[in-house]
Amino acid sequence: MVSPSREEAESAGTEFTLDSSEELSGDPAERPGMGPWRLTGRRLRRDKVALVSGVVFLLIIAACMAAPLWADKVAETTPEENHLSDQVLIDGKPTDVVDTLGKPIGPTWSGHFFLGADSNGRDIMVRLLYGGRNSLLIGLAAAIGTIAVGLVLGLLAGYYRGRADSVIRWLLDVIWAFPAVLLGVALGTALALGGLSIGPVTIQGDSLAIPTLIIAIIYIPYLARPVRGQALALREREFVEAARAQGMGSLRIIFSEVLPNVASTLVVFLPLLVANAVLLEAALSFLGAGVQPPSPSWGTMIAEGVDRIVTAPHLTIVPGVMLVLSVLSLNIFGEGVRDALDPRARVRIEH
Amino acid sequence: MRNLCVLVAVLALAAVSAIGLAACGSDSDSGSSAGGGGDDSSVTIAQASQPDFLDPALSYTIHGWEPMWLVYTPLLTYKREDGKAGSELMPGLAEAMPEVSEDGKTYKLTLRKGLEFSDGTPVKASDFEHTIKRVLNLESGGAPYYEVIKGADAYLSGGNADADISGIKTNDKTGEITIELSAPEGAFSYILAMNFAGVVPGDTPFENMTKDPAPGVGAYMFTKSEPNREFVLERNPKFSDGTVPGVPVANIPTVRTVITPSVPQQTQEVIGNELDFMQEPVATDFLSEILDRFGPDGSEEQRYKEYTTLSTYYFFLNGDVAPFDDPKVREAVNIGVDKPALARLFAGTLEPGCSFLPPEMPGYVEALDSADCPWGDPSEAPDLERAKQLIKEAGAEGAKVTVWGDNVDPTPKVTQAYADQLNQIGLDAEPKILDGGVYFQTIGNQSTGAQTGFLNWFGDFPHPSNFFFLVDGATIQPTNNQNMSNVDDPHINKELAELAKEPDVTAVADRWEALNEYLVDKAYLVPYGYRKLSTFLSDRMNFADCTPISPQYYNDYSQWCLKDE
Repeated sequence: MVSPSREEAESAGTEFTLDSSEELSGDPAERPGMGPWRLTGRRLRRDKVALVSGVVFLLIIAACMAAPLWADKVAETTPEENHLSDQVLIDGKPTDVVDTLGKPIGPTWSGHFFLGADSNGRDIMVRLLYGGRNSLLIGLAAAIGTIAVGLVLGLLAGYYRGRADSVIRWLLDVIWAFPAVLLGVALGTALALGGLSIGPVTIQGDSLAIPTLIIAIIYIPYLARPVRGQALALREREFVEAARAQGMGSLRIIFSEVLPNVASTLVVFLPLLVANAVLLEAALSFLGAGVQPPSPSWGTMIAEGVDRIVTAPHLTIVPGVMLVLSVLSLNIFGEGVRDALDPRARVRIEH
Repeated sequence: MRNLCVLVAVLALAAVSAIGLAACGSDSDSGSSAGGGGDDSSVTIAQASQPDFLDPALSYTIHGWEPMWLVYTPLLTYKREDGKAGSELMPGLAEAMPEVSEDGKTYKLTLRKGLEFSDGTPVKASDFEHTIKRVLNLESGGAPYYEVIKGADAYLSGGNADADISGIKTNDKTGEITIELSAPEGAFSYILAMNFAGVVPGDTPFENMTKDPAPGVGAYMFTKSEPNREFVLERNPKFSDGTVPGVPVANIPTVRTVITPSVPQQTQEVIGNELDFMQEPVATDFLSEILDRFGPDGSEEQRYKEYTTLSTYYFFLNGDVAPFDDPKVREAVNIGVDKPALARLFAGTLEPGCSFLPPEMPGYVEALDSADCPWGDPSEAPDLERAKQLIKEAGAEGAKVTVWGDNVDPTPKVTQAYADQLNQIGLDAEPKILDGGVYFQTIGNQSTGAQTGFLNWFGDFPHPSNFFFLVDGATIQPTNNQNMSNVDDPHINKELAELAKEPDVTAVADRWEALNEYLVDKAYLVPYGYRKLSTFLSDRMNFADCTPISPQYYNDYSQWCLKDE
C-alpha cells in the first residue's frame, strides 16, 4: 500500500467541525441548537449500511463470546482437543475425522464438527469461535493501547511543541520507518521465544499479550500524528488562549480543553484501529509471529489450512470469511461514524 | 450507497476467487497433454530450495547429496541396487575394500589406475588427503566424522590449510593410501563412503565451490550452477563402463534441476508432465489423487511409489528433569502415544514403529514393530487406561510438561497432537513451537531444561552407530547436545564402546539387535515411526525399469531412462 505523505497523514482527522455540519448537509431534520453527539446519532441512524455492519460485528462478538457454550453443550470438545483417531456418524455411516492420508472431514452441519475438522481432528467451529475471541480481544486491546499511548504522545507533542515535539516525532518516525508487518514479524518472532521481561513484569512468549503489545506499538504513529496535528491547531484557538489567560496550567489545559476537542477523532479512529489490528493480528499469526499454537486465531487457522486448500478448502475459507466479515463490517461502520461526525472529514489508516 | 457498492464488489470478488480456487482443484487433467519436462536428451527436475552447497566437502542435506553422489565418487561407495542391497559397501575409486589392521586403527587402500576427473586431470592418491583437508578446514558439518583420523586435531588447531594430516599417507606413484585412526572406529568404512569424502582434485580451493563446482569422478559432472535458479548435470565424458565397476554410466545425457519453491506447483507440473521429477515429497493435497491415478494400484500407468527411509521419528524424554526422571512416567508415555494417529499427520508417509533402529538397518528388530513391542502394537490404538494408571502410580498426575517442536511442517501438528496425547494420560502438557533455525540450539542447551519434544534422525550411513550416538552417554554436552534424553546408561555406554571396535557390522548384528531392544525396553525415548519418501515421475520416464532407490541417496538419476530408449 502507498504510505500517505506526512502532511496528508497529519492533516487526517484534523477537520472535525461538528457545528458546521447542518449547514453542509442542509437537512431540515438537523435543527439548530442540536448537540453534536445527538446530531451524530441521528445521522448514523439514517446510514442503514453502517448500522447493519455494526449489528453484524456485534453478532460476531456475541457468537465468539458464546464459544464455551457451543464447545461444552453442542460440540462436546475443546478447541485444543485432537480427534485424530475418532470417527463420527455421517448419514449413519462411521467416518474417520481424519483419514489415513491426513484429510479431515468437511462440514457435517450437525453438533459435532459442524464446520468440519482440521488436520489434527479439531472441531473447526469451536476453534473458529475461540479463535474469534482471541483475534477480537487482541484487536480491541491493541486499539485501546494505541489510543491511550498515541493520544498522550500526540497531545504532548502538539501542545508543547519544541523539544518535546522533536523527541516524540523522532520516536514516531522510528516506528513508522518500519513496514508494519515486517516490524510485527521481527518483534513477534523474537518475543515468542523468550517472552518479555520488564522489571517485575514478565510476559510468557505464548501469551496473547505479546501480539497485543506489538500491534499496539505499531499503530501508535497512525493515531499520534493526527492528534498532534489537531493539538497544534487547537492550542492557537481562542478558548485555549482564554484558559491560559485565566492561569490554567498546561496539563490542565491539555486534558480539560484540548482533549475533549479531539474526542471525535478518537471515536472515528477506534473502529478503524480495531479492524486494522485484527487484520495485522491475522497476518502475524499466519506468519507464526502472532498467536502461538495451540491457541487458535483466525490467522493461525488459515495458516494451518493452506497445505490442504484443494482437498479441504473449508480450513481456510471459514476463518477467511469470518476475518473478512469482521474487518469489513468494522470498516463500514467506522466510515459511517466518520460520516456522521463530519461528512467532510477524511480519516484513513494506510500502511 | 457507496458502502453498499463496496460490499457488493467485495463479495463478488470473493465469489470469483472461490470459483477460481475450486477450478484449480478440480481440473487435475488440465495440462496433461503438455510435452515432457525436457527434450529427448534431457530431463528437468525440481527442488523446492537451493541445495545447501554444491560442494561435496560442505553439503549435508539430501538436496545436495542426491545430485552429488553421482558426481563425486569416494574411495568406497554403495552398490547401485534397490533396497537393502543398496546399503552394501563396494569399492569406489579404491581398487578393493580396505585392509583393516587387527587393532582396527589402520586402513589401507589403493587407488584404481587410470582414473580421470571430468576435466581430464588424472586422479592422484594425494587428492584424497586434500579432499579430507577441505572437509576439516572448511568446518563442514561432516568434519567430526573425520576427526577420528590421527593428526586431524593437530591439522585443525594448526590453522595451516596446506599442512599434512599425519594420519593420512599417500603415494601418487603406487596409488596407495594409508589411513591411521587415533581410536578404532567400526563404522569408518562407511565414513569413507560418505559424500564428504567424494574425491576432488588436489588444487580445489579451500572455499565453497557452489558457484563453480569442482570436477569429480562419477556418471555426471556439473556444467552450470546458478544458485537459487538452476544447476545442470551432464554426462561425464571421462566416465565409461568399467571406470568404476558397478557404477553405471548415465543413461540420460542432461539432468537440469530448477529451483521451484512451491511444492504444490511442482506436483501439478509433474502430474501435467511439465516436469519429469520432483525432489520433494508430493504435496499432501494431491496425494490422494496421485495414489488413485499413478500409484501401484492406480487407474493409470504407475508413476508413483513410496519407500521407507533409514530414519527414525521419536520424542525425547529428558531423564534429568521431572517428570521424566521417573521410569514409570516414561513407560506411560511410551504406552500412551497413539502412533497410528500421528501417522495421519504425515499424510500416510510415516510407517508407525516401535524400534529405534529403522528397517533394513543392521540391528533392526522386526518383532518390535508388532504386538511384541513392550508398549503395545505400534499400528494399534494405545492402551490409555494402562498409561493413566502408571502416571497415577508415579504421582505425576497434572505434572506440567512443555512439549517442544519446530515450525517446519508437519512438526507443529505433531507437537500439538503429542501434547494432547500427554494430556489424555493425565499430564498437563503445552506445546511450544520454535522457529526451525533456533530449535536445536535451544533444546540442545541444557539450561533450557527441555522436558520432551519432537526429534527425527535420518541416517548418514547404514550403520547402527550412526543412530546410537544419539543415546551415548559420552555425547552429552552442555550446549549443542544431541543426546536430548540425556541417556547415560552404563550398559549402553559399554556396549557402544565395544561395538565401535568391530569393523564388520554383520558379525555383531545380534548385539546391535539386543541393544536396540534394551533401549526400547528402558523407555528412554519414544520412537514412533519411520519416514517414507516418494518418487513421482512424468509420463515420459520409464518408471517400471529405471527407478532403483538407494537407501542412502534415494534417486539414482544415472539409471533413469526414457520410455522410447
